[in-house]
Amino acid sequence: MSDGQEDKLDALLRSRRIEPSSPDLAQRIILKAQGLPQNQTISLWRWVRELFAEFHLPRPAYVFACTLILGFVVGFNTPLNTTGVDDLDADQVQGFLYADEAML
Amino acid sequence: MAAGWPEKDDQELLTLVQKGSRPAFAELVQRHTERFYRLAYRYVQSRETAEDIVQDAFVKLWEDPGKWQPGRNTRFTTWFYRIVVNLCLDWRKRKRPLPLDEEMPLIDEREKADEAMIRIEEQKLLEKEIAALPERQRTALNLCFDEGLSNQQAAEVMGMNLKALQSLIMRAKTTLRERMKTYL
Repeated sequence: MSDGQEDKLDALLRSRRIEPSSPDLAQRIILKAQGLPQNQTISLWRWVRELFAEFHLPRPAYVFACTLILGFVVGFNTPLNTTGVDDLDADQVQGFLYADEAML
Repeated sequence: MAAGWPEKDDQELLTLVQKGSRPAFAELVQRHTERFYRLAYRYVQSRETAEDIVQDAFVKLWEDPGKWQPGRNTRFTTWFYRIVVNLCLDWRKRKRPLPLDEEMPLIDEREKADEAMIRIEEQKLLEKEIAALPERQRTALNLCFDEGLSNQQAAEVMGMNLKALQSLIMRAKTTLRERMKTYL
């Protein structure tokens, strides 16, 4: 195809006519929206960002708060019935006493 | 309308809309209605339907502005083009496009009658052939030739890479040249 045809087609495509919109279209849209309430779906990430935006804490305070939270999490996740080395030694001593009783 | 709204960019206005600001919404509507009407008109070829589609798109934006996420690095217009195009495609799926009105004023009355007749025929044929193109080729043409978007912007609207978009336009133009060769 020649350049002339290419140019003519481009010109035709650019000169497509359009029926003008109503002059009050924008106003109609605004009026229609005025009667409607907003129904916002807030994503979790946006909610977190807004929450942080509410509290203007200095950066060290964030670090302190995070460390504290981490401490609590680790603390609560550690089992309570831990057995230390000292407890093991005490069992061995008691075992020796029971052995004597059996011989009697 | 409050002073200062025209100076705000679309993203600032949308942030305000998300906080429930009606004047910010009104400014956005005033700013972009005509552009999105033109786009919708190209698809539906009917003023009333195009107006309904644009109204529907803006009302959806007002009702749920949280759908716009500024962090995604997309311009408002690019994102909203996509919404309007999707609404137009939904409309086309529901209803076949109406044929062009024979009496539709497509041309300036000042032109001579014979030239006018040829141009009317040209335009009618062009609209018919564009309507017969595959959906994506038509969307690419509308965005690049009517809306004046760059190829890169049109590719973003259509969610494809630049080369794919260029290929769509090339195929569309090849088809149109072939079908309209008597007028070119």
